[in-house]
Amino acid sequence: MEQYIFQCEDSLDGIFTAIYNAWDSGYGHKNIQIQFIDQMMNYQLFSKYIPVVTDYEKSEKVVRTIKKKISVEAYETICRAAMTDRQDKADAIYRFVILGIHYGSSIITNYSNPVVQTIFEMNRAVGNEVHHYTGFLRFSELKNHVLYGKINPKNNVITLLAPHFADRLPVENWIIHDEVRQLAIVHQIGEGWVQVDTSEVDFSELGKINNEEESLEQLWKSFVESIAILERTNYKLQRQNLPIRFRRNMTEFTN
Amino acid sequence: MHIQENLTIQQKLEILSDAAKYDVACTSSGVDRQGDGKSMGNSVASGICHTFSADGRCISLLKILYTNECIFDCKYCINRSSNDVKRTSFTPEEVCSLTMEFYRRNYIEGLFLSSGILRNPNYTMDLIYQTLYQLRMIHQFNGYIHVKAIPGTDPELVDKIGWLADRMSVNLELPTADGLKMLAPNKNRTNILRPMKQIQNGIYSNRQQLGLKDKQVLLPSKEIAVSNQQTGMVATGLTNQDISSIHKENALRVKRLSAVNMKKGDRVYVPAGQSTQMIIGATPENDFELVSVAEALYRNFNLKRVFYSAFIKVNEDSMLPTIAGGPPLLREHRLYQADWLMRYYGFSSGELLSEKQPNFNVLLDPKCDWALRNLHLFPVEINKADYYTLLRVPGIGVKSVSRIMEARKHARLDFADLKKIGVVLKRAMYFITCSGKTMYAMKFNENFITNQLTSLEDKIILGLEDNTTYQQLSLFDVKNFNMGIKA
Repeated sequence: MEQYIFQCEDSLDGIFTAIYNAWDSGYGHKNIQIQFIDQMMNYQLFSKYIPVVTDYEKSEKVVRTIKKKISVEAYETICRAAMTDRQDKADAIYRFVILGIHYGSSIITNYSNPVVQTIFEMNRAVGNEVHHYTGFLRFSELKNHVLYGKINPKNNVITLLAPHFADRLPVENWIIHDEVRQLAIVHQIGEGWVQVDTSEVDFSELGKINNEEESLEQLWKSFVESIAILERTNYKLQRQNLPIRFRRNMTEFTN
Repeated sequence: MHIQENLTIQQKLEILSDAAKYDVACTSSGVDRQGDGKSMGNSVASGICHTFSADGRCISLLKILYTNECIFDCKYCINRSSNDVKRTSFTPEEVCSLTMEFYRRNYIEGLFLSSGILRNPNYTMDLIYQTLYQLRMIHQFNGYIHVKAIPGTDPELVDKIGWLADRMSVNLELPTADGLKMLAPNKNRTNILRPMKQIQNGIYSNRQQLGLKDKQVLLPSKEIAVSNQQTGMVATGLTNQDISSIHKENALRVKRLSAVNMKKGDRVYVPAGQSTQMIIGATPENDFELVSVAEALYRNFNLKRVFYSAFIKVNEDSMLPTIAGGPPLLREHRLYQADWLMRYYGFSSGELLSEKQPNFNVLLDPKCDWALRNLHLFPVEINKADYYTLLRVPGIGVKSVSRIMEARKHARLDFADLKKIGVVLKRAMYFITCSGKTMYAMKFNENFITNQLTSLEDKIILGLEDNTTYQQLSLFDVKNFNMGIKA
């Protein structure tokens, strides 16, 4: 049987547009796959590759349908799942939407269904990483009093982190920079936050932190050191709770 | 007393955080508070860990003493008045600026302020009040604050602080009044329980005024007759259904305050509830006494948490025991496990331990231990059992149970599904069936299951893991031989 493979860009709107086009095509769900355009993969035989041009109107329609026919909770779950680094996410979301529209809002708890399981796992992985970064992110103050925090997350979490910090630090100008994806969230007092592409930005030009900042970092380091109880030292437990990959940008673990 | 003058803020922080490290609680949980859009801070009910120290404990709050000068001479405490250690105090301004600067860099979730007793309890608590007042009112700090109430403080002062803090705690210090008399001659039990009761009543009446629908805050009703029958030690002749209803009853009785969801500008009295902590291993109480004390605290004082602190000998004193092999970490771990079973799983202290078996099994966690003593209640059918029965299966937690309850509405569940849901099958497999089948064909007897389970203990958490991963081959199965004689 000939397969139709829709190729979209790796973004929420891209995936939703592909779902719209796939549905609209009438090829039959089992004859359709959704992949990303830049995905490194061998071409399959007997397959027709169809490029998808991201269309915000179509995407919006899919969002509306999901919210109405499934639930708002399902929509939020899909949004989180779409932020994972797994390459099979577009197709997984497509399968989930098909099922969801058939079964309605209860689909979200059908954990024994493999399609739901996949979405559940993606959602959990992203949710966990977001929660970790709400704690493990570190800001340092630049010369112009802007708070700058750099992270290297596995999943694309900054858009999910932004609301938390916007609520917490409304009276500060801050930047959260995802070094892996070259993206940043920029928050300005009284203006809300936006996501920007930083592939053109040279971050080494940012004003280097001043002495005051260094002495404050020193205060924090000495606090972390003196709060540990020597008799209970347990590095394995520490590593289990705070994996090494997070420590690269954490003040207390850098020299 | 050696009071240091002219210390830098760095030196003060080192001294006063070092002195605070034996306080256990570092949780920032129990209250959801939105940011107000014009000042710094919010709060998340689940709590957020910001880093982990070398001992593997979470650092969530800036945990410091206001001062380590102290008029009391508690024998177990590093800051006892007869100790020759460097003494110093913060000023309210210093605490505020540290908190604000750390908070905006996302180092911390808030402040945990405790203190030695300077001059008298009222004088010290007033300094703490001033600090919190400045932090909340002048710096407009909207993050989490946990503060210790010093026994013997005027009720008015405790009340004033309660309106500024998120959580308050009064340390029980030692599980029994006798132990307290012996090791903390300046403290007494009544003085500790009085503020605890006061805070409980304060929370209760405030929540009533606010009209919060919070049934759990109601003071516990009388013990019902049925709970006396349950010894948990022997086959009781009760059916699964009876036991399940007892568990439900237990769970509702122990359940503490639910998290408050605060909107902009809300003022709530101690919204995140109160907690306490006690030292274990410094006095001769057994585990049964400890969990009974904890249970009584949960039931009678609506505490959010009871913390256990493995005794660490920091002072030389003839009254203090010497514990071979360092602080009793495994015992502390078992107590926390039991604590969770009481708060979330509907176990009562009498089911976990008894006069006959007063201490926890070293080799098995309390839930497995309970299950093995009550094998007549197992195996449980995943697709049929009710909520409180599922909750009692080792390897199945609160989240897994609710997922199972939801998922089985759609389809029959199998072992592969349970694994995806998050059930720890290596523990649960001995106690469950899916559609009437066990996971593997296996012997359903106590010795066999005990052998299997004791090889699973999570050694990382206990810090017991040594670095050797190999083992000398032997003709005799030494470990299993030992297990044959029940621990």
